[in-house]
Amino acid sequence: MSDDGTVDVDEYSDVWVFVESHDGDVMNVSWELLDEATNLTEQLGEDLVALVVGEDCDDVAEAAIERGADRALVADDPVFEPYRADPYGEQFRALVEARKPAIVLIGGTHTGRDFAGRVAVPAHAGLTADCTEIDVDEDGLLQARRPAFGGNVLATILCQDHRPQMATIRPGVFEAADPDPDREGEIAHVEVVVDEADTMSAVREREVGDTADITEADRIVAVGGGCDGDLEPVRELADALDADLAASRKAVDEGWVEGARQVGQTGKTVRPELYVAVGISGAVQHVEGMNDSDVVVAINDDPNAPIFEHADYGIVGDLFDVCPDLAARIEEDGLLEVTQ
Amino acid sequence: MTIEPTIVVGVKQVPDDDEVGIDPDTGHLDRASAPAVMNRPDRNALEAALSLRDETGGEVLAMTMGPPTATDVLESAVALGCDDAALISDRKFAGSDTWPTSLTLAAAAEALDADVVVCGEETTDSSTGQVPPGIAAHLGWAQLTYVEALEPELEEGKLVATRDVEGGHEVVATDLPVVVAVAYGENEPRTAALHRKLYAENEFEPMELSADDLGLEEHEVGMDASPTEVGGMETVDPVEREREVVEDVDDLLESLQETEVMA
Ligand SMILES: Cc1cc2nc3c(=O)[nH]c(=O)nc-3n(C[C@H](O)[C@H](O)[C@H](O)COP(=O)(O)OP(=O)(O)OC[C@H]3O[C@@H](n4cnc5c(N)ncnc54)[C@H](O)[C@@H]3O)c2cc1C
Repeated sequence: MSDDGTVDVDEYSDVWVFVESHDGDVMNVSWELLDEATNLTEQLGEDLVALVVGEDCDDVAEAAIERGADRALVADDPVFEPYRADPYGEQFRALVEARKPAIVLIGGTHTGRDFAGRVAVPAHAGLTADCTEIDVDEDGLLQARRPAFGGNVLATILCQDHRPQMATIRPGVFEAADPDPDREGEIAHVEVVVDEADTMSAVREREVGDTADITEADRIVAVGGGCDGDLEPVRELADALDADLAASRKAVDEGWVEGARQVGQTGKTVRPELYVAVGISGAVQHVEGMNDSDVVVAINDDPNAPIFEHADYGIVGDLFDVCPDLAARIEEDGLLEVTQ
Repeated sequence: MTIEPTIVVGVKQVPDDDEVGIDPDTGHLDRASAPAVMNRPDRNALEAALSLRDETGGEVLAMTMGPPTATDVLESAVALGCDDAALISDRKFAGSDTWPTSLTLAAAAEALDADVVVCGEETTDSSTGQVPPGIAAHLGWAQLTYVEALEPELEEGKLVATRDVEGGHEVVATDLPVVVAVAYGENEPRTAALHRKLYAENEFEPMELSADDLGLEEHEVGMDASPTEVGGMETVDPVEREREVVEDVDDLLESLQETEVMA
């Protein structure tokens, strides 16, 4: 690396995707990324490499091959389970330094966003956060696109002189391809450079419950601060519509709904046919995650709530009246005939 | 021996996204019209830092990297109870992406003798969330992100945090020194006492730190040290919505039946 941190970019090749797993369960965003990244490797004529970190994670590596990786690099050691920023960052950093990938893609989960900087900083690499589109140009340069200013602008971020070109990618924006059990690829175990004695942190407790995947839902009823902790009317409406329950960050932060169901900038991107926002104000950070829905319905008692700007149909009213009413009418009249 | 930690809290002045108007002609956000305010997640960071100090003793210093006008955000921090504050300001910092920003803040944290650096989860203007882990990486310190609650164990030189993780929570103990990013909305920020407000507005002057003061060379900061560049900006047309607002369930159902969603 030279004084200003630039490097000989030609020494770097291949696209790496971090495959995030916890206790053997892979986060769907990793499969989304592996599939999307094949578009890059095809254009570049390079390999797609899955990076698997954990304990006893050969199954994950095999699954990564089935999902499109040409090779899997596996760092397998008890030090990696459960996840901690410092051992992950250190292992990943060492691998990047030794093997020089051109592009590194990481899911924009709490885990990915936690350790990505511990790789990018020592490499003096450009790291683009929460991308929603990725591409390579004629010169093979990564074009990482991310929404800015509340989603009104799509900024393209480039990294000309530094490597690797790193990006975290929002969960739910790409689709995961089905696994192909006939795909073949190489699985290589790499040297583990982290020693438990050198770690700076210890996980004392870990409790992970619902990791529902709302990104695949056809219909969603999302609840926000307006329900004031009483989910009953919203569940009733969701049942009547045969919809999945989702939530604004407010409802998640209050502990009413599990974090896996959060829609928005720091939650998931969803694209259902029908999205019903109940007692949700419509903050930019929420709207960013639901803007790809086909039809948006808003139920809110404040006629000036911004959500109405982002809805096809809105009803101004108290959700405790509107939801049961609507649920009853839908069930009585058999209105739910979705044309698919 | 229990240490009384020096807690440095990073705060940033951003355009108020509650006040950002929508340009009636283009339908896009008009950010120029928005007043500058403290980044909302930083209020949670300040609260976490101040309550930590209330529990452990020591002191809380606020730092901000920005133009001289960013002093306002330091005054707010001091009004809320920070013992002192530093304005990290230099023309050389202009054009910094997250890499030099976290280097500069890391150098300032060291200059201020920090044991704990507390930040907000992310900023509402750039929303990368990369600066807190970046500071930790530059310093080689432990880090805790998405923190909901902090518990000091300073006799052991540790800080224990409850973190929000996908689908749940975990409790992590880290060594000091450490960088903490507090999850947005996780505590109830306090309000400023009148005497602190008056002090902050009338008497308080922040320390000032330049690139030279921090021992940072020109090529390490600002645009020169930023690996990323903006290659282009496309405006995205706001999603076209019907925006039909009704007042009764019958009307709503009728409208919905005109779509393909309901028969
Ligand atoms: C860094 C950062 C990241 C963020 N990420 C996200 C994210 O990913 N997702 C997200 O959703 N938010 C996110 N936010 C938070 C966002 O800014 C808003 O604070 C949040 O979306 C508000 O949630 P809400 O609309 O449900 O609640 P509130 O703001 O409390 O709004 C409640 C709404 O319900 C209405 N209401 C009240 N009572 C009733 C009733 N009885 N009947 C009908 N309506 C009623 C009110 O009029 C109001 O419009 C983020 C914020 C920051 C700073």
